[in-house]
Amino acid sequence: MSDRIIFEDVSKFYGEILGVNRVNLSIPPGITSLVGPNGSGKTTLMNLMTGLVKRSRGKIQVLGIATDDPENLFKVVGYSTQFDAFPKGLTGFQFIYSYLCLSGMEEREAERAAWQAIERVNLIEAATRKVAAYSKGMRQRIRLAQALAHNPKVLVLDEPLNGLDPLARAEMIALFRASAAEGCYVIISSHILHEVDVISDQVILLSNGYVVAEGQIQSVRNEIQEHPTQILIRCDRPRDLAARLFQSEYMIEASIHKDGRGLLLKTRDADRFYLAMNELALDGIQIESIAPADDDVLSVYEYLIGNEEVVR
Amino acid sequence: MNRLWWRQVKAVIRLELKKTFFAKRGLWIYVLAALPVGLFLLYAVAMANQHHRTASIARQGDKPLTYQDLLAVKRGMTGQEVIGMLGKPPVNFHWVEPRRTESGSTEQVQHEEYRYSDGQNDIYISLVNGEVQNVVIQEGYNFGQDAVMFAGVFQFFFLRLAVFFGCLGIFMNLFRGEVLDKSLHFYFLSPIRRDVLMIGKFLAGLLATCTIFVISELLQTAAFFWHFNDRTLNLYIYQHHGLEHAAIYVGVTILACIGYGAFFLVAGMLFRNPIVPAAAALIWEGINPFLPAVLKQFSVIYYLKSLCPVEIPVSPGTPPLFALLISNADPISPPLAITGILIVASLALFVSSVQVRRMEINYTSE
Repeated sequence: MSDRIIFEDVSKFYGEILGVNRVNLSIPPGITSLVGPNGSGKTTLMNLMTGLVKRSRGKIQVLGIATDDPENLFKVVGYSTQFDAFPKGLTGFQFIYSYLCLSGMEEREAERAAWQAIERVNLIEAATRKVAAYSKGMRQRIRLAQALAHNPKVLVLDEPLNGLDPLARAEMIALFRASAAEGCYVIISSHILHEVDVISDQVILLSNGYVVAEGQIQSVRNEIQEHPTQILIRCDRPRDLAARLFQSEYMIEASIHKDGRGLLLKTRDADRFYLAMNELALDGIQIESIAPADDDVLSVYEYLIGNEEVVR
Repeated sequence: MNRLWWRQVKAVIRLELKKTFFAKRGLWIYVLAALPVGLFLLYAVAMANQHHRTASIARQGDKPLTYQDLLAVKRGMTGQEVIGMLGKPPVNFHWVEPRRTESGSTEQVQHEEYRYSDGQNDIYISLVNGEVQNVVIQEGYNFGQDAVMFAGVFQFFFLRLAVFFGCLGIFMNLFRGEVLDKSLHFYFLSPIRRDVLMIGKFLAGLLATCTIFVISELLQTAAFFWHFNDRTLNLYIYQHHGLEHAAIYVGVTILACIGYGAFFLVAGMLFRNPIVPAAAALIWEGINPFLPAVLKQFSVIYYLKSLCPVEIPVSPGTPPLFALLISNADPISPPLAITGILIVASLALFVSSVQVRRMEINYTSE
C-alpha cells in the first residue's frame, strides 16, 4: 500500500470548462494546504481526491486506494465539504450517528464514536438540536465532526475555518496539528494565507486549474529565481550596516526599515549571503536578529499568482 | 450480501423511511392512495342505505317473501295474479298516459309499478293496463358485478394512476430529491458501495410504497366488504373467492411497486425533469395493448393485467379501441407474469447500479 496521495497527470473538465489540468502530485503525511484564488481548482482537486467527481483523465490513488472504490476509500478518508446542506430533520448527533451507521458500525459503537467526535469539535451542548437551527460556525464544526468521526488517516477539509470565531479557529488548528502529529494526512484548502502559513507543512499553489508550485514553503520560495530573497536584519545602526554590506557581491538592494531599527535587504543567493555575513567584520554593530522576510505563503502566493483575492 | 452491507442497507432504509413518510412534498401520495378508499366508503354507505330501504320495504309487505317468490313473477301476468302471489305491494306508483290511437282518438293507458323486497333483493314490476310488461330484479348483493367494479377501480385508477404516480413521487426523489436538496454528498462520503446505497434506497422506497399502497388496498377491501352482512361476507370471502382475490390484489400491488419503483429509480438518475419520463412511461403503459408482442414485454402493466384475478367484461357495442384497452387480449400465465415483472425490474436496477457509480456531485449544474 502506497503511503502517499498521488495524482498522475490528472485533468478534470466540466463540459468545456477546465476544472484542473495535468495535475501531478505526491502528497506526504502532515498538513498540506491548497492555496489559490476562487475558481483555481482547490475544491475540484478535493472532490477528485474523494471520488465525488470523476477525473476526465489520469490516475488518482489515496494511500493506494482508487477513488472509485468508496467502500475502501472512505475507511481512510474523512471529507469536510463546503456543501452547506444536510439531510433533513436530523439533530447534530443524529447526523454523525447516521453517518457512522452508514459506514457499517454497530449501533452502540456508532453512538460512542459520534459523541466522541462531537466532543472533539466542542459541540456537545448543541448536539441534540436540529442541524437546521445551527449557526454557520456550528454547521462548520458538525461537518468537521463528520469528517473526524471514524478516525480517518486522511482528512480532507475544504475551507474548514470559514465561519469559525477566533477561539474555535485556534481549537481547530490545534486539532489539525494533533492529527498531523499522529501521522495523518491533513489536506486543507484556504485562501486565508496567514492561517495557511501558520499551520502548513507544505503547500500546493493553484491558479486557473494548474498547480503552480508545491512543496515546503521555503523550498518553493527558493525556487522563485526572478524575485530576490528579502532578509530583515534587526540592528541598532542600520545605515552603517548597509554601508558595510554593499561591499558584498550578493546584495542587490537595501532599505532602512520604517522604524529605523532594521535593514531590509534583497539578495539573489540567500545561502551564500548568510555565509558572507559571517565573514564580514561588522564594527561592533549590535545585530538582534536575521530572518527571511518573504518566505511565507503570502509572498510566494503574490510572486506566483499575483495579489488578487488574497486575504491577509 | 455480507453482514456489513446488510447493516449499511438497514442504515440507509432507516434514514430514507423517515424522510419518505414525513416529507411534506409527499403528502399528495397519501391523498392519491386514500382516494379509492374514499370511493369504496361512499359506495358502502350508499349500499348500506339501499339495504336499509330494502329491509324497510320487506317489512311493509303483507307477507315475508323469498327470492324464489320474486323470480316467479313473469311478463304477461296480471296485476291481480302478482298481488295474489306476493301480496299488496308495499311501494306502488301509478299514472295515466294519454296515448293517440291509429284512428285518431285518445286512449288512457294505465301504468303501474310495484316494488317488493325479500329483505335483500328488490323487484321492480312494470304493468301496463294491468298486465306485467317488465320485471327487473335488483340483487342486494351481486358478487359478480361488485367484483368487476372493484377490478375496474383497481386496474384503471389504483394501478395506472395511484401506484404509478405514487412510485414516481417516491422513487424519483430517492436520488433526484437529494440532488435538489444538495445533500447527496452525505451518502457519497460514506464508506458504502454505491450499488449497496442504491439497493438500500430502492428497498426503502419499496417499503414506503408497499406500506402506503398495500394499506390503501386493504382499506379498499375493508370498505368494499363493509356493506355486507355477516352471512353474505362469509359467503363472498369463502365461496366467491373474496379472500383469494384480496390476497392477489395485495400481491399485484407489491409487484406494481417493484416494477414502477425500479423504473422510476433509474429515471430519477437519468432525467433532471420528472415530467419527461413520467409522461413517456404513462403513454408507453397506455398504448401497451396496441404494441407488438415483443415490445409489450417491456412494460409493467402488461404483466400486472395478466395477474389481476377478475377480467373486466367488454360490453357489446364498445368501440374496438376501447375494447382493446379494457380487455386483456394477450394474457400470460401468473408464473410468467411474475417472472417477467421481476426481470423488467432487475434490468432497471442493473441500469441504476451502473448509473449510480457514474454519478458525480456537481450541484451547481442543477
